[in-house]
Amino acid sequence: MSIIQTRKLAVGYGGRTVVGDINLAALKGQLICLLGPNGSGKSTIIRSLAGLLAPVGGSVFLKGQPLHRIESKELSRMMALVLTERLSPGLITVFDVAAMGRYPHTDFFGRFSEEDKRKTREALCLVNAENLAERYFTELSDGEKQKVLIARALVQEPEVIILDEPTSHLDVKHRLEVMKILRQLTKEKGITVILSLHEIDLALKSCELALLVKNGKILAYGTPEEILSEETVADLYGIDSAHFSNCLGGIELKNSGGASSFVLAGAGSGAPLYRLLNKHGFSIMTGVIHENDIDYHVGTAIRAAVISEKPFEEIRKSALNKAVSLSAQADCIIDAGFPAGTLNKLNVDLARRLLAQDKTIYSLRDPEEARKLFGTNEGQLVFCPTTVDLMEKLKSREAGVIEQQTASKAVCNA
Amino acid sequence: MNLSGCFRSKIPFLLVLFGLLLILFFILNIMIGSVMIPWKDLCKVLMHQGNDPVYNSIIWDIRLPRALAAIFGGAALAVSGLLLQVFFRNPIVDPYVLGVSSGATLIVAILMLAGYTFGIMMISPFLLSGAALAGALGVVMLIVAISARVKQLVTLLVIGLMIGYLCSACSNILIAFAEKENLHNFVLWTLGSFSGFSWDEVGILTAAGTVLLGASYLLCKPLNALLLGEDYAQSMGVNIKKLRIFIVLISSALTALITAFAGPVAFIGLAGPHLARLTLGTSENKILIPATILLGAMITTFCDFLARMAFSPIELPISAVTSFIGAPIVIALLMKRRTSL
Repeated sequence: MSIIQTRKLAVGYGGRTVVGDINLAALKGQLICLLGPNGSGKSTIIRSLAGLLAPVGGSVFLKGQPLHRIESKELSRMMALVLTERLSPGLITVFDVAAMGRYPHTDFFGRFSEEDKRKTREALCLVNAENLAERYFTELSDGEKQKVLIARALVQEPEVIILDEPTSHLDVKHRLEVMKILRQLTKEKGITVILSLHEIDLALKSCELALLVKNGKILAYGTPEEILSEETVADLYGIDSAHFSNCLGGIELKNSGGASSFVLAGAGSGAPLYRLLNKHGFSIMTGVIHENDIDYHVGTAIRAAVISEKPFEEIRKSALNKAVSLSAQADCIIDAGFPAGTLNKLNVDLARRLLAQDKTIYSLRDPEEARKLFGTNEGQLVFCPTTVDLMEKLKSREAGVIEQQTASKAVCNA
Repeated sequence: MNLSGCFRSKIPFLLVLFGLLLILFFILNIMIGSVMIPWKDLCKVLMHQGNDPVYNSIIWDIRLPRALAAIFGGAALAVSGLLLQVFFRNPIVDPYVLGVSSGATLIVAILMLAGYTFGIMMISPFLLSGAALAGALGVVMLIVAISARVKQLVTLLVIGLMIGYLCSACSNILIAFAEKENLHNFVLWTLGSFSGFSWDEVGILTAAGTVLLGASYLLCKPLNALLLGEDYAQSMGVNIKKLRIFIVLISSALTALITAFAGPVAFIGLAGPHLARLTLGTSENKILIPATILLGAMITTFCDFLARMAFSPIELPISAVTSFIGAPIVIALLMKRRTSL
């Protein structure tokens, strides 16, 4: 049976629907995330699921009972919240903040039994915040505060925890830690966790189900692997300057015009270089890359011109020729220092042919290895020990070209 | 590190200290004045064994009611301020923020400045208190009715301020038309004073004050939940609508009670809770409410002593003394802290 379920739920304020027709069902121990751009209505859904906001239409069921029929005290033992607003509770210690979660379990005066204390301590341990217990809550960093608020929710001993953007304002370490803690809660304690997120990669990597919300509509609902395709993500956030790659689990910024570069890559040597060139405003061409290579996935995700070869096939002549003609258009040619093996030995030939055409190749490879592979065209190989060095050389070359052009123009005019 | 831990161990000590100081100031208030009463005679009079009619009358008719009024008045105002500060989650809120004192002032202004027009010849102290109480409770009822309807607390706060301004505006119009003699008395009333308390008044003040202070202590648990904001409180099972009404009702009733008998006494309601929080280093209401009661009572008693004695025989307005003594202390404590309130 689903722990929390919605049927034709419509959420909004004052009778005005913000998001309608929400049908979701969360099982025990599932981690479900809401994804969508800012202002899409994620928080409104969260608040409605939490019972802080009455639905405009349809209803929320908690263990089969309609949410609005459940008495607030009973509800607070089944469901706990972590909200996104910043708190300033005054001079209250971390332990006391977490202990507030015992509210529905303590008597009229809120007296604390040994068991209440133990449970609070346990929850703080679970979120790795036990050493913060005696500090004032307001003195903590955002990440620490978030962990303590999760502990507070946990102390309530709920079956469902609902979190509104728990990873906003957090650094990478705390973001991952928070997600790890939430996963742990679902796996070890069987708590159902529903949260809104901004990080598509985190959603993909940690959630069982994802609900995509955009412009008051549910765009898709299902497992993230299934629904988070390149098209849906682009549609969801309305982005066309970047591309989401399901396989890479992240966003790559789209490559756009600029001085063109041709990168000889393979076996992952190209991926970081593509991003670097992209960042510095070069348009990228690359080849010949096998389709089972990470360079291929990154290259296509950033929309570089990729000359590719089928997985595990030896590079064929046709692909090589394509690469040769494409590289002829490039302003500069870069050797990413790919490992040369039997399947891609034609890439070595490609480099040799380019050198034979009097082209200059900027190489990140060890000079000795390069000489062995490409022959002795010493002057045409510009060795760059680091990528920083490479970028400097490419930039000074570009500046040189522009200077030459203006100089020749000046000569013509004269 | 562990700053709060060291504060925590100090708490019982500090509470006892506040209690002792309160008793000390209370005794000073009874012993010292234009007529000094020695300790021995004080004990005799209190045990009903004194045979000096002057001492008897000074202690039983003047000083004791006044000292008790100062204690309960201070405690009530400070707790009222604390409740509203927690409720609005705003450190600069005081008991008068919802317009309670302005309501009282308006009715008193009508009585004192325009009473003659309405055919009221003599203003008895009891009539004056009744008028102030009526004005205060009128505003309280209005605020309670509004508080059930507004969605956001800030709205309530602003509405309270607006009611205050409206009442003040009406009072100011009356002032413009008032006679000089009446005006002087009225202005003195608005500055508050614990002088001239009768035993009847003290009886009402202590009885109602005790009930209301007790009731506010019963709100400890939901008040603590409110520290995290209304949404969290609601998610932990607090009935927000009921709690709002309780808080507004109790805090306003406490304020109305004091304003009726002593006029608007400034500063205690704002500073009492701050002093308690800052000296004890906690916002936990179970500790804070008793501490605020003790501190509010202690400071008010001390300030009333100064008001009487500093420029004797001229008595200073209590509001001036409380602000003069309290404000520098609050500033000093705030500057010493790293953590915000």
